[in-house]
Amino acid sequence: MAEATTVVVGGDRGIGRGAADELARRGHRVGVVGGGTTDLTDGVAVAAALRGAAGDGEVGTVVVAHVEPAALTPVALAELGEEAWDAAAERTLQAGFVVLREAHEVLPDGARVVLVLPTVAATGVAGLVPLCTAVEGLRVMGKAVARRWGGRRITVNTIEVDLASFVLGDAQVGDDTASAVPPVPVLGEPALPAGSAVADVVAIVEVLAGEAGGALTGALLVADRGQVMQP
Amino acid sequence: MSEQRFKGRVVLVTGAAAGVGRGVARAFGAAGARVGLAVRDPHAASAAAEGVRLAGGQPVVLRCDVTDPERCASAIESLVDRYGRLDAVVHNAVSNRSSEPTDFERAGLDLWEEHAAVSVRASYRLAALAFPHLAATRGALLLMTSPAGIDGSGPLPFYSAVKGAQRGFVRALAREWGPAGVRVNSVAPLAVSPALENVRANDPERFARIEALVPLGWVGDPADDIGPPSVFLCSEQARYVTGQTLVVSGGRFTGL
Repeated sequence: MAEATTVVVGGDRGIGRGAADELARRGHRVGVVGGGTTDLTDGVAVAAALRGAAGDGEVGTVVVAHVEPAALTPVALAELGEEAWDAAAERTLQAGFVVLREAHEVLPDGARVVLVLPTVAATGVAGLVPLCTAVEGLRVMGKAVARRWGGRRITVNTIEVDLASFVLGDAQVGDDTASAVPPVPVLGEPALPAGSAVADVVAIVEVLAGEAGGALTGALLVADRGQVMQP
Repeated sequence: MSEQRFKGRVVLVTGAAAGVGRGVARAFGAAGARVGLAVRDPHAASAAAEGVRLAGGQPVVLRCDVTDPERCASAIESLVDRYGRLDAVVHNAVSNRSSEPTDFERAGLDLWEEHAAVSVRASYRLAALAFPHLAATRGALLLMTSPAGIDGSGPLPFYSAVKGAQRGFVRALAREWGPAGVRVNSVAPLAVSPALENVRANDPERFARIEALVPLGWVGDPADDIGPPSVFLCSEQARYVTGQTLVVSGGRFTGL
């Protein structure tokens, strides 16, 4: 992994930014495609950004940690309106498709894809129907492409973290950032003591990107310290 | 169905001309419902409407392409105008291309949009339009998802994604609408769709291989196997069930 580049799509904010910084700190070669600077629904732009992020090196792993900012605004479905629905749900799904399609172009055989998503869709959250819709759609899209790309030994897995960590990385929810994180009802306390979500995600990415991760694909790994335990 | 648990109640079923939608509409008919069959081509729905009538229900054929917001609104309003209420909406329609293998790596956003417009955006649209009426009757919304939306299908990545998206939609909306008494669920059926009808007619050996994977030994009949669980989820008997996906597949899919 240290030789090939890890490209973090959505590496300009939240958990994606934290993961990109931490991967670099650990000595990995990292490139970033920013969701805030690249139109992720534009295939040409995404392809160029992926190649630019890879630089001279081969891409070993693509980490995708992106939802459209509009999906993070809590609104009751009945008050949403079609344009807002599209900006939140449809556009997040479109971006996921385009990023995966273009990633496939630059990934060599045996490469790794890791989707990083919030856990919201596992339980559902009132006011965040577009986000939950898009997240579960992306997770299953990942499973479908895991089946498609397995013949090339490309693995595709999903890591989910709590919504605050997804939006803020390891930053604390404080007065200046609280508005960025929609309120999510706490359905259970984490089983494990609190820690760094960024470090947790990066540790799993390292395993998935390494030799030990070669046999794991289509999986969901919930890195929330034991809060949401999937059935 | 021996009891008419939907007698006097009103249901809208999208994509009701054929396949699972037609079967579900008939099952609601057997439960005594007034059934709005939302279809793109009303001429193609005459057999489905007759099926509802023969089963004991009251069919109304409504021209409704679910990708058209105005058609969706008029379908719901015309049912409510006619009968004064709406008790359930079953969104079953899918893209015409839902069963076509998708070349994900070369596909464009236009093809994605064909899938998403029917399964994702129309789920939102129908839900938003129906909400005040369903809240008035403490009714139910039911989405027809798919085992592909749980497991992911390599040949059908777009279909898998939009069906998965519907499951996220259901979980979130169930929490949002719970306080209003409106329940939201989904069914993931394995049933004889028009595409599988073709397989059964033209490639019986392949159809037999599909059947062999089903522990109960057959691919579900839309009316007799998928219809009753769908009616149940929309009925008072399921009044404490919301946010769930019921896999109705003869045991073929057990991973949820």
